[in-house]
Amino acid sequence: MTSIGWRIAKFLAVLVIVVWSLGPIAIGVTTSISTQREVNDIPTRWVPAHPTLNAYRDLLQGTSNQRAGGTVTEAGTFSRSLWNSTVLAIVSTAVILVVSTMAAYAFGRLRFRFGGALFAVLVGTIVIPIFVVVIALFKLMADAHLIDTKRGLVMVFVATLTPLATWLLYTQVREMPTEPEEAALIDGCRRWQAFVRVVVPQMSSGIAAVAAILVLSVWGEFLIPLLLTSTLTAKPVTVQITEYVGKYVTNYPILAAAGVLALIPPALLALILNKRITGMLAGSS
Amino acid sequence: MSGTISLESVSKQFPGGVLAVDDLSLEVEPGEFLVLVGPSGCGKTTALRMVAGLEPVTSGEIRINDRLVTRLPPRERDIAMVFQNYALYAHMSVRGNMGFGLKMARLPRQEIRSRVDGAAEMLGLTDLLDRKPRQLSGGQRQRVAMGRAIVREPAAFLMDEPLSNLDAKLRVEMRGEIIRVQRRIAAPALYVTHDQTEAMTMGDRVAILRDGVLQQLGTPDDVYDSPVNVFVAGFIGSPAMNLIPATLSSEAGDVAVSFGTTRLSVPARVLERRPRLAEFAGRPVTLGVRPEDFAPAERGDGLANVTVDRVESLGSELVVYLDGGVGEPLTARLARQATLEPGQQTQLAIDLNRLYFFDAESGEAI
Repeated sequence: MTSIGWRIAKFLAVLVIVVWSLGPIAIGVTTSISTQREVNDIPTRWVPAHPTLNAYRDLLQGTSNQRAGGTVTEAGTFSRSLWNSTVLAIVSTAVILVVSTMAAYAFGRLRFRFGGALFAVLVGTIVIPIFVVVIALFKLMADAHLIDTKRGLVMVFVATLTPLATWLLYTQVREMPTEPEEAALIDGCRRWQAFVRVVVPQMSSGIAAVAAILVLSVWGEFLIPLLLTSTLTAKPVTVQITEYVGKYVTNYPILAAAGVLALIPPALLALILNKRITGMLAGSS
Repeated sequence: MSGTISLESVSKQFPGGVLAVDDLSLEVEPGEFLVLVGPSGCGKTTALRMVAGLEPVTSGEIRINDRLVTRLPPRERDIAMVFQNYALYAHMSVRGNMGFGLKMARLPRQEIRSRVDGAAEMLGLTDLLDRKPRQLSGGQRQRVAMGRAIVREPAAFLMDEPLSNLDAKLRVEMRGEIIRVQRRIAAPALYVTHDQTEAMTMGDRVAILRDGVLQQLGTPDDVYDSPVNVFVAGFIGSPAMNLIPATLSSEAGDVAVSFGTTRLSVPARVLERRPRLAEFAGRPVTLGVRPEDFAPAERGDGLANVTVDRVESLGSELVVYLDGGVGEPLTARLARQATLEPGQQTQLAIDLNRLYFFDAESGEAI
């Protein structure tokens, strides 16, 4: 029970967590600046002898089948998928935020018939795994001609993520003092004006945190876009990366480069909004 | 001077069945500062919120400036309200906060600017106009909340315990300031507090509420000198009035009241003022004695037998806790010259002309 022993134990625990989370990323980065030959070397080389950005060039500008060693890349495809991911994340997040902020306020503040029951149903859907409805979802989307469209994906993301966002914002609405909006009502606002001019600004930190959570969730989605997209009209980067796994041989540096590039936007976002997200998830915002 | 606030038989029953306000009628006259006071949970804040339109009324009517507003939303009532926790808009500057209501009323920008500047000057906020609320102290926030209310030039002011978050010194300062500002604006003000000192010092009139029922409405002197029942007698005044279980006896026209080993004969003047008192002969009554109506024995007529329990010096005077043989301790305020030691058995004079009598059963004043 010496404090020095305790501190060493804590340090080791943190070290394990850091290695566990950052290890794969570090391996990804070193792989992406290696050559295919170095990757296949035995014994394993952790750090490339001649770091090169060739994999990135191949990924973005396209390769011949020969040089890529099984993995085929075409100029513009990867950046196209990055663009798709960006559009999907931003549009879905925007729509979800509008809907869930209003819903959270309504459930949190206003008294209306069946309000509690509706909220329970809404929150209850959070626990339903998407796998349960995936076949029905596919059929529905196919019937509506929404397969392989960004529109269709956005609709699915909005439907699946709105309950979580509403629930997170609801807790914030419940913790917020009511007086500022009452003051706004007295100061001449209608209910919706008070909402837009006073409530939403008051919720801004929570909304920012939820926005970050949503962007990260949509960016990381794999199963749904895998199922509902087939071409680059809608295919996001998570699905596109799997294309670089060759049938017989895989060019690991290219695969790793794709992974690293796909990681940068959400990593930046998470870094910027780190404090707000942890605050939100810890229940205070 | 214009504008009134009037409540006519206003009641509020909450969905759970709690009757928060029961048949409340009162009128705040033009330019008047009326304080609604009572212990927490007495319905005073609910009453205020009904006037503001933040809480629907169950029955009764509310008029502001003779205009029926009972079913109007808050924005159409032409009122301004100051909240207990100030309720400032955190994302707006002081100027934005104060001008918000005017902006919503679509006043020209120049007009908003000059009105905000004027109010800021009156409240000493001129240097703070560009700050955000979180950069202000409690007293400054309180001033901004006041400023936001007065720039609107409303028909009526509502204030919900606006001073309770301030420290004692600032509270005394702001008491004066609020009164000064309200006098200048001359709009009627309905002010809610649980603090009887605030009620007594600020109110032109004071309305005392208990369990949603209005107990008494009158000037501070009225409610202090002639409380209508035991509740008002005990609530108004600090330290509180001594309420002593006693019996009234009458022998050959000589009426006396006794408790413990003390027997006080009631002067004829008092009997004249309270003709019903004779009817209570032989029955238990509650005798009311204000702490300041005690005096050292040599100075008064009625002598009470007491044992000194504890003596607190406030510097200017002594607060003495006494055992009068009635179970409850008695409180007396005496001049500092009085020499009393804990444990000492002594006699203290009671000003017999200032005795209060209450029906022991109903609590009503006799």
